[in-house]
This record gives sequence, structure tokens and C-alpha cells, in this order.
Amino acid sequence: MNCQEITNLMDGYLDGELDPITSQKIEQHLRDCHRCEEAYEAHTALTHAISRGAPYYKAPTELRQRIQSSLRDTVGVKASRSAARENHALLTSPRAERRLVLPEIPWNWLALAAAIILAAIVASSFIARLRPSASDQFLATQLIASHVRSLMADHLTDVASSDQHTVKPWLDTKLDFAPPVVDLSSEGFPLIGGRLDYLDNRPVAALVYGRRKHFINLFVWPAASNESKAPKTISREGYQLLNWADSDFNYWAVSDVNVNDLQTFKQQFETRTSHR
Amino acid sequence: MALPLKAKHVSETEDFESSRHIVKFTVFKGSDQNHAQKAQLASFEEALLPHLDAAHNLARWLLRNEQDAQDVVQEAYLRAFKSFGGFHGSNGRAWLLTIVRNTSYTLLKKNRAVDLTTTFDEQIHAIGHESVSPAAILEHAEDAELIRKAMDELPAEFREILTLRHQEGLSYKEIGEIVKIPAGTVMSRLARARAKLKEYLTTCISQEK
Repeated sequence: MNCQEITNLMDGYLDGELDPITSQKIEQHLRDCHRCEEAYEAHTALTHAISRGAPYYKAPTELRQRIQSSLRDTVGVKASRSAARENHALLTSPRAERRLVLPEIPWNWLALAAAIILAAIVASSFIARLRPSASDQFLATQLIASHVRSLMADHLTDVASSDQHTVKPWLDTKLDFAPPVVDLSSEGFPLIGGRLDYLDNRPVAALVYGRRKHFINLFVWPAASNESKAPKTISREGYQLLNWADSDFNYWAVSDVNVNDLQTFKQQFETRTSHR
Repeated sequence: MALPLKAKHVSETEDFESSRHIVKFTVFKGSDQNHAQKAQLASFEEALLPHLDAAHNLARWLLRNEQDAQDVVQEAYLRAFKSFGGFHGSNGRAWLLTIVRNTSYTLLKKNRAVDLTTTFDEQIHAIGHESVSPAAILEHAEDAELIRKAMDELPAEFREILTLRHQEGLSYKEIGEIVKIPAGTVMSRLARARAKLKEYLTTCISQEK
């Protein structure tokens, strides 16, 4: 390595960003070449001086407060405007809302608010009132209890794996049915694992998915033939429950994520399982 | 020239995605939408407010004006919050700094197009290097005011890269992602920025003599 090459690589070398072999060659050269060694020492001194000498502009306290209050404003204003409508939509027709909230919508409060308002209008003008039946309400209680228990008792999963090919066989051996298991990491719902649970007087599969810092429990068991196929949402105590069924299985997703995330989750899950 | 940079850069990442601690079990009886937004805001603040100083420092160096810096940082935080749902990375600081940088440039381009192309005036400063010893430079480099003035003289692309490397201690890879240039270019730009700074210090010192 000649002196010109050393000069070119000097910054990468002193920042510790070069590969080990090149670093070693430079080290060797610096031992042998006095001129380069001096240049290197001077350059090191300069970079240290910049690090020490350049003033670091810390944020003033009032900026933090300003930012926090402007963030709260964003949330507060939109929340109070949309909250009433959303409650209305949930009570009148979960079905209408499901159709309107598309899975590809980015996390954008405006789009969300628009969807909710539209859902409320459609719901209030066209659709007959559907309230969750008493048996659903009872099941919802069990589902929430199971969801909360799974998070509390450090018993989220019996088999912890993001690999659907690990979780599925494990569940298959423990149950008298073979629930569909898909990893939805690329859709923002990474598979965390699987668990056995007991609900509605039968053993069921619980698939655990993550959503940012939240968890979604997806309970799966074989669908009874007389069960209604219409999807249902129930919202209670800050938890969202979403029920749907396909030709083989009955699904209940339970989480504290918002209802739109849960709808997105359902759609992604359905899309992926329909290509099985 | 293929630059012999490290294949894998070790970077400090604030990994707040993979931790699976259950934070709270508060039951909200009110609006769930409201609850979800508040929860979103809480996790946003937890992830990104710790990087407020870094955000402010970068904006301050880029804009060279305290009021502009504060406005840009506030704007950047609001932008970041809007797209927080789409952020699945692990390096919150780098992500935030990218947004701060973009927001700063928007303002720079709008208000002071001249700033982006301002280059160090070589004619004025390219005199009398050889007579100044490294020790003398180092001595003056301890002078924070002089360093600040020298850095403020540099074009924006040099100011930001010096800040990111020397003050935030980011790796070439992280800097490259923020500034949107390859790691090899990070090295050469950093080298040029340091050389310019040295030139400026040298000039100041020789003028004092």
C-alpha cells in the first residue's frame, strides 16, 4: 500500500470502519512510514478535537413541552371528533365497517377518520341493527378472560416460534383438528407462537400474533355447520373481538389493538389462508 | 474503486420492537379509538422523545438558527407520528434524524437556496498551512467557539456529516441511510469535511500570528 492510498483511507481507518485486512495493512504501513504516521496522528488529534469542541445543541425544555402538546392536540382533536361516530358504527353495523376499511390503508388518521365517518353514514342509513347475541356475549367474556390470562401468567405460548411450520405440527398433534397457521410478519403481524386453550366447552387452538407492542390471540376451532357465517365485532372493556368463519373453522381474534388493525389482521389472515 | 469497508457495521440500535413486555392492563371504558390513539402516542413518545436532543442538534447545525431549528424539530415530530404506524425498524434515532434532515432541507431550499451550494472560499483560506503545527490546531480546536464558527462556514452536507459522526457517533452505514449515500461516499465526504474544517482552523491560526 502506498502513501496516497493510505491518505485516501485514513478517515475510514481512524473511524474503525475498514475491514480487518485493510486495517492491518494500514497499521503495517504506519509503522514503517514516518510521514504517514505523523499525518495520521495529526488527523486523529483533529477528529478528537471536533468531537470534543463542537457545541452540542441540546433541546430546550420548552421545545419538549411544545412538541408534546402539539402531539396531544393532533390526537385529542381527531379522537373527540371521530369517537362518537365510531361508537355508533360499532353498535349498528360491524359488517358495514369491515367492507369499508381496506387492508392497504396506511396508518393515517385522516383516512381512518374518513372511513369511520363513511361507515357511520352507511350504517345509520341502510343497515338493520345487529347486536351480538347473548351467547356471543358469554363467549366474549370467556375470550377476553383467556386473552388477559395468557398475557398475565407468562403463559402466552406453549410453542414459541415465528415459524408456521413449527407451530402447526405442534398444534396438530395436540388437537383433533388441524388449524391453519400462517406467519404474517410481512403484513405487520408477526407470528409469536401457539397455545392450547379451552373455550366454548372444547379444546381450541390459540395462535399468538404481535402487533407493534400489542398481542393478538386468534382462537380457532372447527365451525359448527349451523353457525352463522356473518362476521361480528364486539368491543368491550378496551378489548376488540372479531369473529368470522370459513368453511372449516370458526375464528375469534381478541386484542387491545384498535378495531381497524384487527380488521386488517383478519383480511390478511384470510388472504393468506385462502391460498393454502 | 471498491472501498474496503467493513462488511457488517456494528451499530447502536435502540431495539424497542422486539421487547415483549406487557406494559399495562388498564381497562379503558371510554372510546376505544381514543384509547388506541393514546396508546399509539404513548409508545411513540417512549420511542422517540429520548432522541429530542439529537434531533434538535442536527436541525440547529443544518439551519444555523435556533428558531428555525425548533420549528423544524416540532414539524419533524408531527410527521414522524403520522408515519409511526409504518415504522417497523429498530433504530428510532436514525429514523427520526432522517425525518429531521428532510424537514430541514425543505426549509433550507425554500428560504435560503444559496446555502446548499455555499462552498468554502478556497482563495481566502488556502494560505499558510504548512507553518501551523498539529499541536497548534489541536490547541485551537479546544476553543468551542472557533470550532462552531468553522463548522458553520461549511456547506450543509459537511455540517450534517460532521454532526452525525462526531456528535451522534453513528456508523458509516447509519449515516449513509440517513443522508442517502453509500458508505464509501460517507467516508470520502467525511474526509473532505474534516479537511475543510482543518483548513479553516489553520487559516484562523495563521491570521492570529
